[in-house]
Amino acid sequence: MKSKSLSVLAVASAAGLFLAGCASTEAETTTPAATQTTTTTTTEAAGSMLDSVIAAGSVRCGTRDALPGFAVLNDSGEHVGFDSDFCRVIAAAVLGDANAVEMIDLETADRFTALQSGAIDVLVRNTTWTATRDGSEGANFLQPTFYDGQGMMVASDSGYSKISAMDGAIICVAKGTTTEGNAALESSRLGLNWEIRSFDETDLILEAFLAGQCDGWSSDVSQLTGLRSAYPNGSDALTILPEVFSKEPLAPAVLDGDTAWAQAVNWAILATIQAEEFGITSANVDSIRDTTTDVGILRFLGAEVPGSDGAAVLDPNLSLPTDFAYQVVKQVGNYGEIFARHLTPLGLDRGLNSLWNDGGILYAPPYR
Amino acid sequence: MSPQLSTPSKVPFFRDIRTLKWALQILALLAVFAMFYWLYGNYQENVAKSSIQTDLRFLDNPANFTIPGNDLDQSQPVRDAFVEGFLNTLRVAFIGIALATILGTLIGIARLSKNFMVRTLGTVYVELVRNLPLLLLLTFMNLAVVLQAFPRIENAWLPLDLFVVSNRGIAIPWFIGSPAQLGIGILSAALLAFVVAKIRIRQADKTGKQDRAWLVGIATFVFLVVLIWLLFGYGWELPYVDGRGTTGGLRLDPSFFALVASLVIYTSSHIAEIVRGSILAVSRGQGEAADAIALSGSQKMRLIILPQAFRIAMPALGNQYLNLIKNSSLGATISYFELTQIAQITVGNGSPAVPAFSLTLLVYLAISLVTSLVVNFFNRRLALVER
Repeated sequence: MKSKSLSVLAVASAAGLFLAGCASTEAETTTPAATQTTTTTTTEAAGSMLDSVIAAGSVRCGTRDALPGFAVLNDSGEHVGFDSDFCRVIAAAVLGDANAVEMIDLETADRFTALQSGAIDVLVRNTTWTATRDGSEGANFLQPTFYDGQGMMVASDSGYSKISAMDGAIICVAKGTTTEGNAALESSRLGLNWEIRSFDETDLILEAFLAGQCDGWSSDVSQLTGLRSAYPNGSDALTILPEVFSKEPLAPAVLDGDTAWAQAVNWAILATIQAEEFGITSANVDSIRDTTTDVGILRFLGAEVPGSDGAAVLDPNLSLPTDFAYQVVKQVGNYGEIFARHLTPLGLDRGLNSLWNDGGILYAPPYR
Repeated sequence: MSPQLSTPSKVPFFRDIRTLKWALQILALLAVFAMFYWLYGNYQENVAKSSIQTDLRFLDNPANFTIPGNDLDQSQPVRDAFVEGFLNTLRVAFIGIALATILGTLIGIARLSKNFMVRTLGTVYVELVRNLPLLLLLTFMNLAVVLQAFPRIENAWLPLDLFVVSNRGIAIPWFIGSPAQLGIGILSAALLAFVVAKIRIRQADKTGKQDRAWLVGIATFVFLVVLIWLLFGYGWELPYVDGRGTTGGLRLDPSFFALVASLVIYTSSHIAEIVRGSILAVSRGQGEAADAIALSGSQKMRLIILPQAFRIAMPALGNQYLNLIKNSSLGATISYFELTQIAQITVGNGSPAVPAFSLTLLVYLAISLVTSLVVNFFNRRLALVER
């Protein structure tokens, strides 16, 4: 009797699987059209992530724990770095408290699944904005926080001085990244026959690199700079070759189809850029707000702007508190401060990441 | 006093054991359906929210990555990468199963040895390996053994000048020429040798004369292979260190070596126990009978005990083979490009996760089911026919 009831159960679960399979094939043919029409309505019905973040009182930020300069754990177990600070920027803007962040460490290959499943509210994890990711991962990329490019790091005693000399080399990269594709493309473009090995984590690449299993370590130059600074044998043992062979705009991403939340995150980041342009820092933000007569700055900081029919505070209806920019700058700092805090010590130049009026491409739309 | 006979009233249906059993089963069935319905509904809702692909169109996109030791071009579709991953999984499975069976059998026999040293070594091996998590064993094999204990390419080991061993892989001598041609040649030689051996066995059975049929078969095989070799003009090619890599011969990926070694060590410890148990399960009288007709120790094992032991071991062995195949997916953690690694890479590069992993799941299921079929086939052939 026991075996019989077991077999009935087995048949039932098999049937369940089968039916699920049928239903999914049926759905596959109809989904594309259905998705287009239902996207907006579903979201409105389900409510914006912004509301759930405010209700929860903290931002769940998808990040990492072992990339020097961008996100590492310090001695007391806190996340420190450029990306970590942008998580705090978002929290400061939306909730008024830069520490209302729950940092969730993700593997590179799992990051989009975490975003799609709603396990995180926003992904700030050295993620390159590409068309395919924008289109098929359900990710909505926002204002890039860092304009990067892929380069190559080699051991200083290896004798390699340029990428085109690395014929037949073994190149180690992180799994599930744009790095793999760029390296493969560069290899075939220069006819170099690279053997490209992909690893789950930078720790594993480091082990392989230290043991001499890899000739080159390819990644975004910013990452390589951070990794080089933390290399166990001293940073002089490694050389980053001068060539850069890809465009890597690293941008935060939220789930597709949630405009309110996307706008909130986007403007939180733009505020750091605008603050630098205005020359507002975490140190002088209070005095500037109290003394300035510049209407643009007053608007930006959410202070009262004297007008013909009395003083008014600009509310652009971004679903953010009107003083969000003030909170961001006061609690975390402007873009230049965040950069100087985490990336300048690694030896990274501002380069492309300077303001537009300083030779870079950082340009925030006007706040009015 | 007449005995009071209470006529048993009819049991109400809700206390009828048959009704209850049916009701329980129907409830279980409903629960299973409800769970699947709920999961599928959630999936549909989430997909609709975020416009993620749900079909297999991603298989036609360019793969955008390369596979070590393979000339897959990065512009070839994802489909081809999956096929390569599938083949790499099969490679590990075939070699792993063959080696684990041989090693496991030897250790299983060793555990029953009369020699104290051999017996103890066997026990220590089994108890040590069987009680470790496989992932740990694999990580250790990769980080400690392959990366650190193997020499760098600059000072590679060159045993006999035939092999090149370094932490960039193990290069072995290999033939030059078309592998398909050689494969067909070896296969047909093996078939012919088998037929020859069968004929000799039949003759021996008829005449009752001792005949070394299998030895003749092996000799035929070697002769035919050498003949094909000479006729088609194959040559060996020795590997040598060339700059920071090796040229010539066949290069085995370091992660391939680490994966196969870990799987073989781990699975063989389980197979050893199965073999030991099966040998003990063969009736004692069989061994005594072999002694009585004065068979030597190895003859007794080879002709009498093992054939009967394997009959008992077959179903359990099949399970271990399935485990090995499924465990090969751990290769993804040490950068061996098998099916799971390919799935992870493509998903990281923009392929939708649910269809990509569903596909991977189905491929593993198919491999496992086919393996089960083969094992069951042999099991039926070997099983005692009971009347």
